[in-house]
Formats: sequence, C-alpha cells, structure tokens
Amino acid sequence: MKKSHFLLGLLFFSIGAIQAQSYNNLWIPDTLSGTNFNLTIKDTFAQLTPGNQTITAGINGKFWGPTLFFNKGDTVHMNVLNKLNESTTLHWHGFHLPAVMDGGPHQLIPPGTIWKPYWKVTNNAATYWYHPHLHEMTEEQITKGIGGLIIVRDEVESALALPRTYGIDDIPLVLTDRDFNTQKQFVTVPYGDSMVVNGTLRAQYSVPGQVVRLRILNAAIERSYNIGFSDNRNFSIICSDGGLLNAPVSVNRYLLHAGERVEILVDFTGQTGQSFDLKAYNASLGNFVAGGENFPNGPFANYLGKKDFTMLHLNVTAQTAAPITAIPATLTSNVLLNAAEANITRILTLSDSTGVTNPPILGPNAFIINHKLFDIDHNEYQVPLGNTEIWEIRSTSGFGHPFHIHDVEFNILSINGAPPPAAQAGWKDVVFIPRQQTVRFIAKFDDYADIEHPFMYHCHISLHEDEGMMGQFVVTQPASSSLEAIKAENDIILFPNPASDRLFVSFSDPNMQAYYVRVTNTLGKTLYMLPEPQLSDGIDISLFPAGIYVLSITDQKSKKTFTRTFTKVRHNP
Amino acid sequence: MKILLFRYIPLLLVFSATLLGMNFLPSGDKIVHDFSLINTNGKLVSLGDYPDAKGFIIVFTCNHCPFAKLYPPRLNALNAKYSKLGLPLIAISSTDTIIYEEDTYPEMVLKSKREQFNFPYLFDGDQAVAKDFFAQKTPHAFVIWKEHGKWVVKYDGAIDDNGAEPEKVNNQYVAKAADALLAGKTVEIQETKSIGCQIIFRKK
Repeated sequence: MKKSHFLLGLLFFSIGAIQAQSYNNLWIPDTLSGTNFNLTIKDTFAQLTPGNQTITAGINGKFWGPTLFFNKGDTVHMNVLNKLNESTTLHWHGFHLPAVMDGGPHQLIPPGTIWKPYWKVTNNAATYWYHPHLHEMTEEQITKGIGGLIIVRDEVESALALPRTYGIDDIPLVLTDRDFNTQKQFVTVPYGDSMVVNGTLRAQYSVPGQVVRLRILNAAIERSYNIGFSDNRNFSIICSDGGLLNAPVSVNRYLLHAGERVEILVDFTGQTGQSFDLKAYNASLGNFVAGGENFPNGPFANYLGKKDFTMLHLNVTAQTAAPITAIPATLTSNVLLNAAEANITRILTLSDSTGVTNPPILGPNAFIINHKLFDIDHNEYQVPLGNTEIWEIRSTSGFGHPFHIHDVEFNILSINGAPPPAAQAGWKDVVFIPRQQTVRFIAKFDDYADIEHPFMYHCHISLHEDEGMMGQFVVTQPASSSLEAIKAENDIILFPNPASDRLFVSFSDPNMQAYYVRVTNTLGKTLYMLPEPQLSDGIDISLFPAGIYVLSITDQKSKKTFTRTFTKVRHNP
Repeated sequence: MKILLFRYIPLLLVFSATLLGMNFLPSGDKIVHDFSLINTNGKLVSLGDYPDAKGFIIVFTCNHCPFAKLYPPRLNALNAKYSKLGLPLIAISSTDTIIYEEDTYPEMVLKSKREQFNFPYLFDGDQAVAKDFFAQKTPHAFVIWKEHGKWVVKYDGAIDDNGAEPEKVNNQYVAKAADALLAGKTVEIQETKSIGCQIIFRKK
C-alpha cells in the first residue's frame, strides 16, 4: 500500500516536472489600495517568451498595471503621470463619474503631464478596469500593455461568504492574445497567435481544493472567449460587469466579449491533486463573432481562430485554512430600472460603411454607428440630467459588436426580442450586439452634467473603435442653471506669488468655482491637469523646479478661462 | 485632434508597412554626415577628430529608457575592443529633454561618470544627428565605414539579440559587423529592427 502510494506520488511528481517545463506560472498583477493612487504610464519591457525581451508599455513599470482596490463610498484620487513620449488617456471603464474625470478621448494627457482626476465611488462591488482611450491609438496602446483591473468592494458583497483572498482563492484573469515578430516584438494586429493570461503565455496556476472565484476580464483587442473547463464542469456566474447577480447562474460555457468582465465560482472541493484546463471553446462560435472566423490569410488570419484552446492550466492543491466550500444560494436583490419609467427611447444603428453615400465613406469597409464615422467635435445626443433612457441598438452590420457606454451601468431589456439570459440580467456596461439583431437596454443618467466634456459609446473591439465606430453624448443641466454671463470685473488672484510649496487661488466672486486648472512651464510643457480641483488647500507646487509658470483656470459656470503667471521659488520669501 | 491624427500618420504608415510585409530599404549605400556635439566632459566631438578611424560604432541611447539601461557594460566592452582596431564607439542621446528630464545634459554627465563610460556620450539637443541617421529607438546602433571620404552605413539596428540576459545572446550584430569590416568582408546581417524606446522628433 505504502509502496503503491509512493509510486503514485512519483508518477505525479514526474507529470509535475513535465508540466513545469511546458507551462509558465501565472503572474498575478500587483495591488494598490487606499484612496490615493499613483499611476505612472511608461515604456518598459517584459520577458514574455524565451530570448529577447518584448518592449511594452505599462503602468508603474509592468506590462499590465496594478489591480486597484476601491471601497464603495470612498473618494478616490488618481495621480496619473504620462511618461510616454506620446499623448495618451486613462479611462476608468464602468465607473460612474464626472465626464471630465472619465479618461475618454477628450481627457488627453500630454507627455510629461500629471492628470489628477478624482471621484466618489458609487459603483457596486464588481471587477472593473482602466485602459487608454486615445482616439485612433487605443488598439496600439492597449496592445503595448497599458491597463489594469479595479476591484470594488461594498457592504453587500462583503457580507457574503465568498472567496476574496487575492491570488489565492480570488484570482484575477486578464485574457488577451498577442502576436510576436521574429525579434519577439509585439505586432499591432486585431488577433494574436498566442494566448496571454495576466501577461503569461502557456500559463498554469495552483488553486486550492475548495470554491475558488475567478475574476475574468476580456482585455483582447478583438477576440471573444467562450469560457469552459476541460472536464465540461458547470461553474457559477455571480457577477456581471457592474455588480452581483441576484443569484448564481450555473453554466458550462460563457461567451465573454471584448471589454466585458464576469466573476465565476468554481468548486474544486475534493479534487486536490487533479488538474484541469480553463479553455476557450471557440471552434463552435459563429463566423460573425470575433474569434469564430477562420481567415486563412490576411490581417485577420490567426492561429487561434475558430479553435478550442487552453487559456490556463489549473492544478488543484490542498485547501486553505478557512476554505469556502459552498456556493451561496442568493447574492443580492437588484432593483432594476423599469422600462415604463423611461423618458425617451433612442434608436442607434450599427452598420457597415460600404454603400454609405451621404456623405460617402471611402476606403475599406469600416463599422459605423448612426451611419457616420466618429467625429470628436460632434455630440450626437444631449441627455438631460436625471433622464432614464432606453437605448435601442439596431444592427444591420455583418458582424457582431460588443457595445460599451460610458457613465452608466445599464440593464438589458431584450436581445432580439427575448429577455437577456440570467447571467446578463444584472448590471452591465458592455453588451454584445449579434449581427443583424436588436438589443435594448435601459440606463439612468444621474449626478454629473457637463456641457464641455462628453461621454463616449462605442464598439469595444478597439480596432473598430479606432476606425470610427464610436459616438458621444453630453449630459446637460436643466435650462434654469445653464451658462450665465460672468461679470466683467470678475477676477482671480494667485497668492503667495512668488510661492514655494503651495499656491492659493482667490476668486473675486464667491460664485466662481474652478472647473479646470492647467499649469504649464515656459517651454509650453503641461505639468498639471486638474479637473474640478478642490482648491481650499491650494495647489502643491513643492516639486516644481524654481522658475516662472503659467496657470490657467476655467470657471465652472461661465467656462471662461483666466490665465495668470506665478513664480516658484525654493523657499518662501 | 486633427493635429494629433497628423502626428500619428508616420506610425500608421509603419503599421501598414508591417501589415503588408514590406521591409525597410536596404542600408547598403546610406551616407551619414559628420557632426559636432558636446561630450559629457564639456568638449565638442566630431568624427573628423579621429583621423585614424576606419569607421565608427555609433549608438543612439539615453538615460531614461529601461531597455537602454541594460547596455552600458556592453558598450564599454565594445569600445574597449574596437577602438584599438580603428573602430571607436560614440554614444549619442537624442531623446526629447522637455519630456524626459532624466535625459538632460547635466544628467548625462552624471550617468557617464556613474557608469564609467570609456566612450564619448554626446548630447544631440536639437535631434539633428538622430534625424540624419534616421535613428528610431534607444538603443539603436549603426556601424559606419569610411569609403572615398564619406561615412557609409554598414550596419543599422539592434546591438545584439538579448537585452536583459547578456549571457543568452546568440547574435552580436554590431560585433559581427565590425569584425567583418575589419577583415575586409561584407557584413552578413546589415540590418535588424532596433528595439527600445521610440525617439520621437519634436515639432519645431
């Protein structure tokens, strides 16, 4: 008996040794928590394949940035420093926040600049993410590896008996794929030949023999992943993009599209010592779903197209000290929006640009919304603050598109006339619009109105988005509080001037409020971009080199901009 | 935003070229020109200061780039070996110092002392030399050779094929090019893609 156990052990050991050669251990992204987050976007490199390193970009020096932990109700302050030699933006995907803080294409961060958005976290506990959103550069900058996860915690989720030890029984999985050239460098293409999970190729990970939570993000440029396990087991979906479902939904496949997140519980109880694969069952996908096409040649040809492939090899190890061994029967009681209370139904169309004549869209076929390419100077909709709206997305496009809207989490009302599947019957911010079908969702546009900075809606396949499959809307205040003329004598004063540590701003009219502050040096380089800054404590200039600077303040109501110079000195005069 | 689009057109072109499987032009008869740039010791350096040089190893690099930071010991070794053979190494920093304060001249002076550079480290503040060479990345190496009084590019690209693991280098591109030239032979691999941080040229 003992001998056979020993032999069995030896067998497992040798299999383990073989596996250690063929798999790489899954990297778990670093973490940051609190209410102040320092994020530096910069060039870096990573050892993704044997041989030369791959030049990437990333946050805080890694190919994929830190996972940020937020608590619902906290006000989070982000210090985003762009150390790239090109402009970028950082968008907080899924968050309800002022448009000026959103990090869309309008909140451009020039090279060398610190952007300091902040907002009160009102989103439910769920898995969100952040990524660049610079128009026409999104695909390239996401390919480089700029992005990270955000995990929100709240009282409802914290009260449940769910796995939440990060990296142990609560495991983040960022799914994407990449192509490498012969010199091991990334090629910016919609589909890569290599599956990459958390920046790891051919990844394996150890999970304890108990209920394990996987927080899965589809961070691919284009591909959808039809998630399942090699033993065809069922798993429980507990959370969609923007919050917990009412109850776990048991499935054996879940099709996750670009930009979407899903949290699942997988029960490995009693399976210690066994191994399973988390796979993408993409062979069964339709030809018009990303990853389901099978192009033999051309820019869309790829090794993983219309194939089933392993994403992550899982080795089940011993239980942890206080394991979760049961999947809760219920999770929360979502109060969904009521279609009867909608103020308006907006009808949007998704289509192909071929054949559009007024004006004609030249060049290769692009996918478009409302029969036109994205125009950053055009607001398609003015949404009155407080509106509850139904958005009906009608597709005549030959291809399926994951549709994402900023500012809100929504409830899907119908997909081609039918109610959404149970796993999508909660809060969502991306919804897949199958080819030539219609999807309706409902959302409430609360809290934040801004006539200057729009929110975006777009296809989350970043190639399509970069090519113009995007539009924008502004949330507007009721007419009574619209723009007011500012009195001619209004003024601002900076003091002390010269200053060494903190610079204070005084408004001659107490009704004035800073909408935007920008600080530039005499070379024209922007140092600070401060949306809606809280100026009572002044502006920290202690790290600036001594010299002359230009500060411009835009007033909240009038949107009039005042420009003043100040002198930074080493010590207070 | 239109300006932005315009700015990225070169990148888009590179992207399209990659897609179409086009290769960059062969460097066979690319000519570069002499320059005069300030070294970290405060003196001006030009190619003409080396009357005995048969050629040069010119490396565009910088302080800030994580990939460039991997190479100083290898640059010292290349210069130690090849300067004696009439092929000295010169490093040039051409990155945008408005964006990267780490790449300003005073920081270069500190870096060359700290890393004990045995070669000149020149400041190309207006990026003119990088433009003449069409240097794209840091690091980006060129091996140039004197032919009929002109400086002809004989190798253009990466220094070798492994940045972070020098012990795993399989192809010492620059050294191989230098050896071939010194032996009077044709350089076998004349061009590779340089790998590192993009040198972005400031708009004037």
